[in-house]
Amino acid sequence: MLRVRDLVVGYGAIQAVRGIDLDIEQGEIVALIGSNGAGKTTVARAIAGLLSYSGEILFEDVRLKPNAAERNLRLGIALVPEGRGILGTMTVQENLLMGLYTRNDKAQAKLDLAVIHQRFPILAQRGHLLASLMSGGEQQLLAIGRALLSKPKLLLLDEPSLGLSPRMTDTVFAMIEDLRRDGLTVLLVEQKARQTLQIADRAYLLETGCVITTGPAKGLIDDPVVSETFLGSRTAAVHR
Amino acid sequence: MSMYYAGILSDIGILLLGALSVYIILATGQLSLGNAGFMGIGAYITSWLTVEAGLPITVALVIAALVSGAIGVAVGFPALRLKGIYLAMATLGFGEVVRSFLLNFAAMGGPEGFHGMHHISTGYIWTWAVSVLVLVMLIEASPIWLEIRAVRDDETAAGLVGLNATEIKVGAFGCGAAVAAIAGGLFAHHHVYIEPGNFSFERSVDLVLAVILGGSTVASGALAGAVMLVILPEYLRFLAEWRFAAFGALLIAMLLVRRQGLLDRALLRFAWRGSRA
Repeated sequence: MLRVRDLVVGYGAIQAVRGIDLDIEQGEIVALIGSNGAGKTTVARAIAGLLSYSGEILFEDVRLKPNAAERNLRLGIALVPEGRGILGTMTVQENLLMGLYTRNDKAQAKLDLAVIHQRFPILAQRGHLLASLMSGGEQQLLAIGRALLSKPKLLLLDEPSLGLSPRMTDTVFAMIEDLRRDGLTVLLVEQKARQTLQIADRAYLLETGCVITTGPAKGLIDDPVVSETFLGSRTAAVHR
Repeated sequence: MSMYYAGILSDIGILLLGALSVYIILATGQLSLGNAGFMGIGAYITSWLTVEAGLPITVALVIAALVSGAIGVAVGFPALRLKGIYLAMATLGFGEVVRSFLLNFAAMGGPEGFHGMHHISTGYIWTWAVSVLVLVMLIEASPIWLEIRAVRDDETAAGLVGLNATEIKVGAFGCGAAVAAIAGGLFAHHHVYIEPGNFSFERSVDLVLAVILGGSTVASGALAGAVMLVILPEYLRFLAEWRFAAFGALLIAMLLVRRQGLLDRALLRFAWRGSRA
């Protein structure tokens, strides 16, 4: 579904991503893990079309262009950015309506909005509240709900668990599995490696802008390279 | 109606249009300090068209609005890459470029100014002012306003739901420029004499002040601001030389007490309920 070849992204003199290859197949949850500054967010933002980059990104055999977030969304790639990217001065309901912006099938869109309200009842209850006044977890649900309303084929989630309580994190992760069951393809960028690897099919471990290991997610849980990156030692991995 | 009040009413109508031109641009989160420049463009084009080409004022105003809007879009594309204070400085520079161009534009009098326009009635000015105000309020009630607010809120987030932030910002800038040109054309035909000094930085500041005082989150704020900005200095006349200082103090007090300006959505809703109870 998605092919990334030799992706290079720089911010000024700093190269944040240095030649990454990445593939996502239809219906997969692919995890992108790594510590702070590894380049995970940059990869997600490049795929979403928010950055300029060199290299090649193909989505369903269509070559994506840099800095073309709007086009990518219409092709079926939605990003829930780190920090959620909700429109704080607008109400919850207005945020959801903005999610329908690219939809031409207005009748079906209305039904989809009802489905989202059903899936996240809190968004229906708090419809008239300013989005910025909701808790972090609720905002995350809103951001995901809004992204789903654009009917994406590929959903990019950038650190959805950031700043959430453990219980809320569990809710979000369970929801990601639900979404995949419904046929959505997901790229999950996370620092919570263990929990992420448990729901992902495959994973890429990033360090300083390069992929250092990749493979089926279950296999990576006990991979010494992964343990060292996240836990600092192999014994720590054994104890968990 | 005496000449005095007719003059004041006309001033309010023209300032209302000027304030709306700032409001439209501000709605997308951009501050323009150069709208007097667009007013000047509108004033000179309209005057030339009525005096030299003999066109009716309404036709002249529409042409001036279109030309100024096109210039607004052309200037907007590079300028709107800037944000915040940098954009404000760039628009300020644009206004001054227009003013000094007019100063050197000998064909229309240069520093001596231009005259020969026919005086227009207060009713004509207010027909334009109310039409544009109603148009902006209609847009505010339409889905387009959601898009504009989204761009103002967070451009990146707006891009992620598929909005083209550049298009919306440049479009708003063009519309603002067109409305400012109408204000300028009416100004020229109200005063029947224009000179480059009429369209200086101070006027740009006046337009922004009207919006900030009246309420920068609702279109009717521009109306409240225009009324206050014209009438307050008149009512403060008893203070003689001190009236502008008093006006300044009032302005500071307003910003300390009500940052969003006199009118906002909550106040309008409250007034609406009160009137029905």
